[in-house]
Amino acid sequence: MPAENISVIKVGQVLLVTVPPDPDDETVSALQEQVLDAMARHEAKGLVLDISTVQTLDSFFARTVAETVQMVALMGGRTVLAGMQANVAVTATQLGLTLGHADTALDVDRALDRLLASPSQGRSR
Amino acid sequence: MKSTLEGEFRIGTESDIVTARRFVREAATTLGFSLVDVTRIVTAASELTRNIYQYAGSGVMRWRPLHLAGRSGLEIVFADQGPGIPDVEKAMEVGFTTGKGLGLGLPGAKRLMDEMTIESKAGEGTTVRVRKWLKK
Repeated sequence: MPAENISVIKVGQVLLVTVPPDPDDETVSALQEQVLDAMARHEAKGLVLDISTVQTLDSFFARTVAETVQMVALMGGRTVLAGMQANVAVTATQLGLTLGHADTALDVDRALDRLLASPSQGRSR
Repeated sequence: MKSTLEGEFRIGTESDIVTARRFVREAATTLGFSLVDVTRIVTAASELTRNIYQYAGSGVMRWRPLHLAGRSGLEIVFADQGPGIPDVEKAMEVGFTTGKGLGLGLPGAKRLMDEMTIESKAGEGTTVRVRKWLKK
């Protein structure tokens, strides 16, 4: 089965990507590729990963997200993870997951506010 | 997909990990686990299914409801005939991996579940049994 559809939406100089609820490994990997591609193409300064519908955050998923955050940072961008569900946060912590240096926000609005309000920070990292 | 409290599912491809998660989510939800516990169980199943796919190539997941001494719960068994785990104690250490993961699979799954046992013989395979009990 091909990777699920992932759309990358551009909001100002920030990219917004909604992660599907129950993605397989292939979809997670495809998401990473698309994000990096879009970062380069749009010269974006930031990335919001909307994970508000994600129900299972396992170690593969977490590793790929952490990697993506790192890669985006190398490209001069900041990533904010938005909307992690409480049950997912509890589980991820018990599993021992860390998400690298990702910023987090309660929802997409707050994540966008943060990235759009501080456009200079992205390039300085 | 049939809605079943117990069943057996063969794992052989990467996308089977997602299907296994769905079976487990369905069973755990039907049994009445809280959303947090369902998430814990599904995440543990995801790790253990991926272990089978990564290390053994194929295997089987079996799940069934438990009713023991007035308690109810869910048991899931992950069995493969892969290379086995040479050093189970080592494999339980956080950060230890022979694969490309984070080394969180086994110790992480143990923390998420109430009980976990591992039987493994080099060259013969591995059976991981996990249980989660319903809180009263």
